[in-house]
Amino acid sequence: MIDNTFSRRRFLSLGGGAALAAGLAACTGTGSDDTATGGSGTGTKTLRLFTYEDNSTIDLLKAQIKQFDTQNGTTTTVDSLPGSGAAVYPDKLRTELLGGSGPDVWRIWGGQIGAPYVKAKQAMDLSKYYQKFGWDSKINQAAVSGMTFDGIKSGVPYIGAGIGVWYSKAAFAKAGIAAPPTSYAELEEANAKLVKSGITPAGLGGKYGWDIMRLFEYLLETSAGPDLHDKLLVGAETWDRPEVVTAFTNFKKWQDQKWLPDGAVGLDPADVELWYVQGKAAYTLTGQWTEAQGIQAGGKKSADFGVFAAPTAGQPLRHSGFVEGYMINAKAGNPDMAAALIDFLVKPESQKAVKVTSSVVTGAEPDKATLPLSYEWSQGPGRQPFYTIQDQALPKKQADQYFAIQSDVLQGKTSPADAAKKMQDVIKAWDKS
Amino acid sequence: MSAATHRARRARKARHGGPVAWGFALPALIVYFVFLVYPALSSLWFSLTDWDGLSAAYNVVGVDNYKNMAADPVVRQAAINNLIWAVVTVVVPVVLGLALAVALNGKVRGKPVLRLIFYTPAVLPLVSVASIWGWLYNPQYGAINAFLRAVGLDSLAQPWLGQDSTALAATMVAAIWLRIGFPMLLYLAALQGISPDLYEAATVDGASRWQQFWHITMPGLRPAHYVVVALSVIDSFKVFDLIYAMTYGGPGTATQVMGTWMYFNVFQYNQAGYGTAIAVVITVVAIVVSIPYVRSQTKEHAI
Repeated sequence: MIDNTFSRRRFLSLGGGAALAAGLAACTGTGSDDTATGGSGTGTKTLRLFTYEDNSTIDLLKAQIKQFDTQNGTTTTVDSLPGSGAAVYPDKLRTELLGGSGPDVWRIWGGQIGAPYVKAKQAMDLSKYYQKFGWDSKINQAAVSGMTFDGIKSGVPYIGAGIGVWYSKAAFAKAGIAAPPTSYAELEEANAKLVKSGITPAGLGGKYGWDIMRLFEYLLETSAGPDLHDKLLVGAETWDRPEVVTAFTNFKKWQDQKWLPDGAVGLDPADVELWYVQGKAAYTLTGQWTEAQGIQAGGKKSADFGVFAAPTAGQPLRHSGFVEGYMINAKAGNPDMAAALIDFLVKPESQKAVKVTSSVVTGAEPDKATLPLSYEWSQGPGRQPFYTIQDQALPKKQADQYFAIQSDVLQGKTSPADAAKKMQDVIKAWDKS
Repeated sequence: MSAATHRARRARKARHGGPVAWGFALPALIVYFVFLVYPALSSLWFSLTDWDGLSAAYNVVGVDNYKNMAADPVVRQAAINNLIWAVVTVVVPVVLGLALAVALNGKVRGKPVLRLIFYTPAVLPLVSVASIWGWLYNPQYGAINAFLRAVGLDSLAQPWLGQDSTALAATMVAAIWLRIGFPMLLYLAALQGISPDLYEAATVDGASRWQQFWHITMPGLRPAHYVVVALSVIDSFKVFDLIYAMTYGGPGTATQVMGTWMYFNVFQYNQAGYGTAIAVVITVVAIVVSIPYVRSQTKEHAI
């Protein structure tokens, strides 16, 4: 058999020619020793961290990193791309890595969003650092599994977020809703009351797919139940079945009954998600970060809002959840120092200082006085099991196809039954190798 | 050495330049090869592989990526969208730009201010343009639907970017708004070069304004037409940023164009080989489209 496997280096050496390669190295900085070591950390004391920390907390993170630098004699540069979401940030990271100047440490979502970096061996196997720093005993094990890829611990969990219903108490009161709904039927009743009172119930936008997906995955959890939902996500059961059709039917109902904003499919989540804080919607489906970055950053009081787990008939009552963590560049100049930085960031005191609202570290629960709703979530629904949020459960390509089907259903271009069939085709074509 | 040989050598030198000329051209040539030719050849190579865009290794798959493009329904949709985009965003801004240029070339009060107003969208960052139009199109709070409701046309209020039927057209309106300034500016410059004597003579001969436009203005703008149309066509085939920022290719894949679909494959789906094949096709189309422009420029300089 002919070996037709190439490497980029081999191609460069064959195709580029010495003069061209020298020119490239001189002009772009590639091909030098700098690249061979990767990252910015060619020196033993220089690190670069890339994150998507929100503007409201980036200074707190930088202050902690400065403290780390003071203790260790390092110089760490922090770059942040706030608000970009999982649709954009990974592209920037990928481009940096391919350009040969990738960060030493980067923050990333778990599941299928973080997996490509591990598969491509851009992210380091952190097993030895798990042992060295004892992360297994300090960090929630469910979160660790979310940053473990094909058995390789390539990420250290930083937060473990759960998606709940964050609502405006004023909107609920105006609609005559005395208490959060405890079943899907009650939620539908609440929606009807909210529409009658003149407010859009759920502020969700479908521009990138992932925001409005949070509603669909909840509807699927409701109609399919925990076991079947989990099997569907890994392709162990066919999607062409009544439970999925019911979920798509209910999904369409939400748009038809105006429980979603008009033209929700085209709305940007960044614009819509805070409508419940601004009084333009009654609630949204989001994670604990919304308390610090949405409610409090908007000058509102936590006491005027509430949070509850989206009700299903399933036992236990699960919510959608996901993990975010830090990875180390496989070519980092000083991986030991990079690991020490991560260890510093996952210490309870660092997490509290950065106001992490959904820590996975023992002893770093949200502060009841400053983040009462996040605390309430952590002590209630946050203790319940969660299912993997669907844009992390599926690779990006399949997730986008999934979103396209959801979009077609909301527009009435595809019937719920056809949507279930199409979704089965998407899962069937997914090459899990 | 015969005189004939000497003449031939001088002619060759005049045509191709001597060592000194090549010496002066060398820095530009190095930049050209390093930043254009080499990356282009690299892309061509990667389009023949299954590279995922992140890993160090890949396999050569021949022309499989190009064959797969033929079977990809999104490529088909993107190509059609590109074609519609090219026709609409070339014809409309060029016609409107020409009309504005002719109007502003005459005696109009506040001419500099009007020129500035019409050209301003062209200098705005595209992401800002996308945000502005995103807000205008907001189904519930946007100015467009608010205006329609205010004048009693409630039934025309639409989720402009949230449905397949209007999303592409809505993004094209933003593109037209953005691109009118460029042809207007080039035509204005070209109009300055047409001698006023021609119009005076035509007026004396009894030619109407319309006849003057068709028989003096339009022929006088011929070199500008080449530049404006060719650059607009090339620009329209490269469309990416406005679509990406306004609709992200959606709803579903309704507004995907070749540029965004290439980007999704290379950077999001770990299919850099396939995405690069799409990029190669876009480049070939752009080159073919630009041939008349390049030829016209070459001829012009050769005269």
